[in-house]
Amino acid sequence: MATDHFHFPETKKAPSRFRNALGKYRITITRACTNCGLCLDLCPYGVYQAGSKRPKASCDHLCIGPSCSKNEFYCVNRCPEKAIHIRSNPSFEVLGDRRWPAELLAGTWHMAETGTTPHQDLNYKTGNSGGGFDKIRFIFPGKNGNGKPGTGEDISTAIELNRSGDSRPRVTIPLPLYLGGMSFGSVSIVTMLSRVRAAVALGTFCCTGEGGYPEELMPYDDHIITQVATGLFGVREETIKRVRIVEFKYAQGAKPGLGGHLLGDKVTPRVAQMREAVPGSALFSPFPFHSVYSVEDHKKHVDWIKETNQKALVSVKVSTPTDVDMVAVGSYYAGAHIVQLDGSYGGTGAAPDIAKKNIAMPIEYALPKVHKFLLAEGIRDKITIIASGGIRSAYDMAKIIAMGADGVCLGTADLVALECIRCHHCESGRGCARGIATTDEELTNLMELEWGTQRIINMYTAWRTQLVGILKRLGMKSVAELVGRFDVIAHMDYMKKEEIEGELD
Amino acid sequence: MKNRTYAQSIIDSRYHLRDKAEANGRPRVDAEEGGCGVTGFACNIPVSGRHIFEPSVQMHNRGNGKGGGLAAVGLTPSRLGVDQKTLDEDFLLQVALLDETVLPEMEERFIRPHFKVDHEAFIDTVDDYRDIPGLEMKPPAVKRYFVRVKPDALAGFRKERNLGILPEDKVEEEFIYQNTYQLNLALYSSLGEKRAFVLSHGRDMMILKIVGYAEQVAQYYRLDNFDAHIWIAHQRYPTKGRVWHPGGAHPFIGLDEALVHNGDFANYYSVTEYLKQRNIYPLFLTDTEVSVQIFDLLNRVYGYPLEYIIEALAPTAEMDFDHLPEEKQRIYRQIQAAHIHGSPDGPWFFIIARTDVKNRQHQLIGITDTAMLRPQVFAIQKGDVEIGLICSEKQAIDATLESLAKEDPRFGTIADHYWNARGGSYTDGGSFIFTVSGSGNGRKSLTCSDKFGRQIDVPRNQRPYDFTKKLPSVKLESTFQSELRKELKTGDIEGPFSSLSKGLPKWNYSHTATVLAKLKGLAKDDALKGDVIRLLTLFLDRHYPTGKKRRRSILQMVTGTLNSIFNDVPVLNGKPAGYYGLINFKTRQNLRPPLPGEETLVADAGGFSPEGDDSFAHIVSEAYGLGWKRFICFGHRGQRFLGCGLGPDTQGVRIDAYDSTGDYLASGIDGLEIYVHGNAQDQLGQILKRGKLVVYGDVGQTFMYGAKGGEVYILGNAAGRPLINAAGRPRVIINGTALDFLAESFMAGDPYNGGGFVIVNGLTFDNRGRIIPQETPYPGSNLFSLASGGAIFVRDPYKKIVPEQLNGGQILPFDERDWQLILPYLKENERLFGISINKHLLIVDGKRRKPGEVYRTIGAVKLSVLAGSSLTMNEEWVTDKDAGETLNQKPNHNKI
Repeated sequence: MATDHFHFPETKKAPSRFRNALGKYRITITRACTNCGLCLDLCPYGVYQAGSKRPKASCDHLCIGPSCSKNEFYCVNRCPEKAIHIRSNPSFEVLGDRRWPAELLAGTWHMAETGTTPHQDLNYKTGNSGGGFDKIRFIFPGKNGNGKPGTGEDISTAIELNRSGDSRPRVTIPLPLYLGGMSFGSVSIVTMLSRVRAAVALGTFCCTGEGGYPEELMPYDDHIITQVATGLFGVREETIKRVRIVEFKYAQGAKPGLGGHLLGDKVTPRVAQMREAVPGSALFSPFPFHSVYSVEDHKKHVDWIKETNQKALVSVKVSTPTDVDMVAVGSYYAGAHIVQLDGSYGGTGAAPDIAKKNIAMPIEYALPKVHKFLLAEGIRDKITIIASGGIRSAYDMAKIIAMGADGVCLGTADLVALECIRCHHCESGRGCARGIATTDEELTNLMELEWGTQRIINMYTAWRTQLVGILKRLGMKSVAELVGRFDVIAHMDYMKKEEIEGELD
Repeated sequence: MKNRTYAQSIIDSRYHLRDKAEANGRPRVDAEEGGCGVTGFACNIPVSGRHIFEPSVQMHNRGNGKGGGLAAVGLTPSRLGVDQKTLDEDFLLQVALLDETVLPEMEERFIRPHFKVDHEAFIDTVDDYRDIPGLEMKPPAVKRYFVRVKPDALAGFRKERNLGILPEDKVEEEFIYQNTYQLNLALYSSLGEKRAFVLSHGRDMMILKIVGYAEQVAQYYRLDNFDAHIWIAHQRYPTKGRVWHPGGAHPFIGLDEALVHNGDFANYYSVTEYLKQRNIYPLFLTDTEVSVQIFDLLNRVYGYPLEYIIEALAPTAEMDFDHLPEEKQRIYRQIQAAHIHGSPDGPWFFIIARTDVKNRQHQLIGITDTAMLRPQVFAIQKGDVEIGLICSEKQAIDATLESLAKEDPRFGTIADHYWNARGGSYTDGGSFIFTVSGSGNGRKSLTCSDKFGRQIDVPRNQRPYDFTKKLPSVKLESTFQSELRKELKTGDIEGPFSSLSKGLPKWNYSHTATVLAKLKGLAKDDALKGDVIRLLTLFLDRHYPTGKKRRRSILQMVTGTLNSIFNDVPVLNGKPAGYYGLINFKTRQNLRPPLPGEETLVADAGGFSPEGDDSFAHIVSEAYGLGWKRFICFGHRGQRFLGCGLGPDTQGVRIDAYDSTGDYLASGIDGLEIYVHGNAQDQLGQILKRGKLVVYGDVGQTFMYGAKGGEVYILGNAAGRPLINAAGRPRVIINGTALDFLAESFMAGDPYNGGGFVIVNGLTFDNRGRIIPQETPYPGSNLFSLASGGAIFVRDPYKKIVPEQLNGGQILPFDERDWQLILPYLKENERLFGISINKHLLIVDGKRRKPGEVYRTIGAVKLSVLAGSSLTMNEEWVTDKDAGETLNQKPNHNKI
């Protein structure tokens, strides 16, 4: 695909599928209202809709709050009857967690709804974890800096996935991202298809995860990465031959050493059929590949996939142990095109907390280690490094690229785009109250395919805008230039703001 | 008690090494990772180093050319310029000089002051290392010394190190050990340039290693004419660092032993701590080095017999422990308690070659970890010459034998016996030892025993054929050929097979060869060729009495005949080839769609690479794409992935595979049929979906991992972890047994309703080709663990399977429904292998039994960990009502 001419999909408004979207502010209109309609005319954000007795603030999540008071259109001040009150939404205070605070969730929802960055005062760039990405900032050249901003139009965000120089096809994706594996069984078919269709529209890929290859995916074969994981569920020669990229999942950063575990309640007849297992019985993926206990076994494994599909690229997904650099080198010598490093922040609620927070290395530690090691080994430009495990925003993506990744792989962000509220009950009972991570038919029907697809397209379109903005401010022509540029980022715990020349963001 | 004092005094004598090690910032505990291919053989006659090439070349895909090495034990004095006495008694010190200018300093510090040097020389090499294709880095110059410690140096050492109570020879050994340690520390592992290190210092043994492939060691150091009784070699697949040093390559040394290793430890840190507590410090930072350090510690310092050393390395666990005699349990419990922290955990397989100085013998030892996570195959062949082999892959064993047979036809190309070790087991202890003993001048002999000293031998009353002798042709009855032709024309080959195999025990080798020659003659007729091939193949597939002849010689002769029939098939070209067309590596460009009348593609796997763009599997799938449906594939030397890549719905395709097929055969097949005429390797039938796989022999590790279906028939045994995570509807018969972990996490639905199952018959064959039961149908401690679906049917008339072997399974009565379910498969099994339901399977102690008395069913139990919510509330949270119910279910202990 010639990405130079790639036409990014259009964004379309895809509002919340629930009656009241969650926003930072709540607006109440008292009985004093005379339904004069002034607020409807005033608000440029579309918060209000006409009502029979008085207007409805049905889109109060679009409201920018008290900071609006400086505007001449501030409804609270202008209301002739003083009937409008704006206050903080109490739900907002209990929403989210430190990695995904309420503002980041709401900011992401906004992007998914509109395809643009939020106009509200929401921090959509970082979370509140107190470390990692949340402490890292870009150093943009100041007003007097020597950066030469490009126009934005001619900035390339494309990356090449096959850099090995072998005889297999080159595969370029127009954005430095693809969508990571979430199996049928862990998420609903609508969720799965929404992600796949968004990947198609964005010219990138979406991974099946380890739960088979539902036939609904077949029209999108060219944009699917089929996953070969330790349980080998639903992996057949036919599914390997179908696709352009095959991914070996050795481990997940969220739960290295554990393997997948789908509890019995989610193993519905359809899921069981897809995995050719017994309905109602929990399904384990063993932690290792039983056929791979060493690097030469791994090579044999890669050779097998290459034999079965003579055209496909091979991606190896590993978690981040302390010797992750050795794992990456080993994967390269075994013939992998892509190595995906999955750090410890990722994973849905189904990954046990004890594993999620304690085993693997955070991705922002692992990535520089691997990048530098491969540089020293002289093979960095022969392999594509994809980072995953806790990439939440366009800023996270750009930061990890500056730390040595070529691109990123996303999972949770997609679910947030579909209005996941991070309640962490993905594994239990019938699954997700929002109909995302479920296989229950009734819950699955909570979401429509077109809507889901558009939400994800919208979010990544907003990400692209931000990435282009970052590159532009750094005076770069392409995302490839950003790879391994440790000089354009700063960690706030180790660098003093006042010692840095340029603007931090 | 005395031994313990010896041990403590040796350990104490190394105390001073601690300071130096730590002053140098050692040991650093970051183990290098790396997989490998390992191989070794022991022979009662000395053989050339050239023969270690063949398996090494075959296993390039187990290394990356960044580290290779080999060791030779049991050397020939004349090749070294010394006499037998010197070879027996002196320490053979080989020092690698990475920087040749270090020689004077090295000798001045570590050789001249301490040693009486009886002989010294640089090892001969080729003139220019670049003459060896693919060798990128100049291997080190190696200087060899035959030394004894000078009496005054020894006396000084004894005094200084407080080794008064040790006998003279022990002190000298320790001197050698510590001197090497000091040399390596000073000239190799200290900060700064790596200048020299000791390759080996044991008696009657030597090691060479380079940055490159193992066979390049033999080429560079001109080992073509260098003989030894035992050779071991190693291909390393290291992943660390750009600067490579031969010091990091295997083998590593203890004192009189060399060790190569495949795998890596999970507990490297803990093992180094264990060693540190005994004043042992690794210098080369690989887990292989610490492996041999443990071996040396247990052997030379603690003075353990080999059996206890093996127990300390690979402890006997679970049900296997319970099966040990009480006396052994008592000792093993002590060993485990004392040494568990020095026991390597994780996947590992060791091959050790050593000189057993005390008993004046040489040994080749293979030890597998308790869970058998690395591939390992043992083999033995005895006749005029005797050889024992240990390799990562069976095909490497065959390659070694082929190489040896080419030079000396007293070696056969097929071993008498191939087998796997069962790690940490009561049956064989996970280890086998080949011992070469006998006086220096007289004929040496080779024996093989397991950890417990039980001998593995070949049928003594059957003589192998000596292929050095030319066989005179025997005059057969005049009607023989025409009768045979008539019988073959009926198309039923069971008839001629039956009559020929009846005659076979009485024939001598000449007679047999003449019959084979006649068959070959008949195969010239295209109309009979297929039947002759099928008839000959039955002689590979079946077990039958061979009289005074050795089975392996018959197999070798039949294989030779078949191969010459295959090679006589017209090569595929523009013209129609007939019913059969041949393709080989040289003519692979001629591959084209079959012309009318061409039915079977005969493909010689020989020259093809085991994987990659030039792989044999690729040619087969390409040929299928061109329209070929019938394949005879022969000449395999470990070519992998046969049958992979043909895609879905391949029913109607049949592949017959001969010789040493490779890993991953039949993985992912969807409809086609593969028949393997002989033993198969590892990872067969991974994700196999549909179709048929028949193996007329054993299968290796992780057979049918994640399989979804298929009909599979195995004549022999499966190694570790067969059918793990299999789902869907696989239907499998294993006529032998499996090492362990059969059908773990089996999820194959309801067997009575389209799901899958495994039938285990637990049988084997004796030397006369008769079917006999194995000692137990399933020896492992883990059967059907965590399984949620499917079933296992075991032929277990003596009820040897016990619930303790099951974790997630239960033994159920075997009823009529079960019998009706498995009967069709047993019938096909009978047709394929000649294992009769009525004459063999249902006969116990000479009496016919009912199926329910012979077979047992193992079904899945719904375990709480497999059910919906795996968590139950803690007891104190349970409400009174619940508690009451729980209490009521408790057994009443008052009632007895």
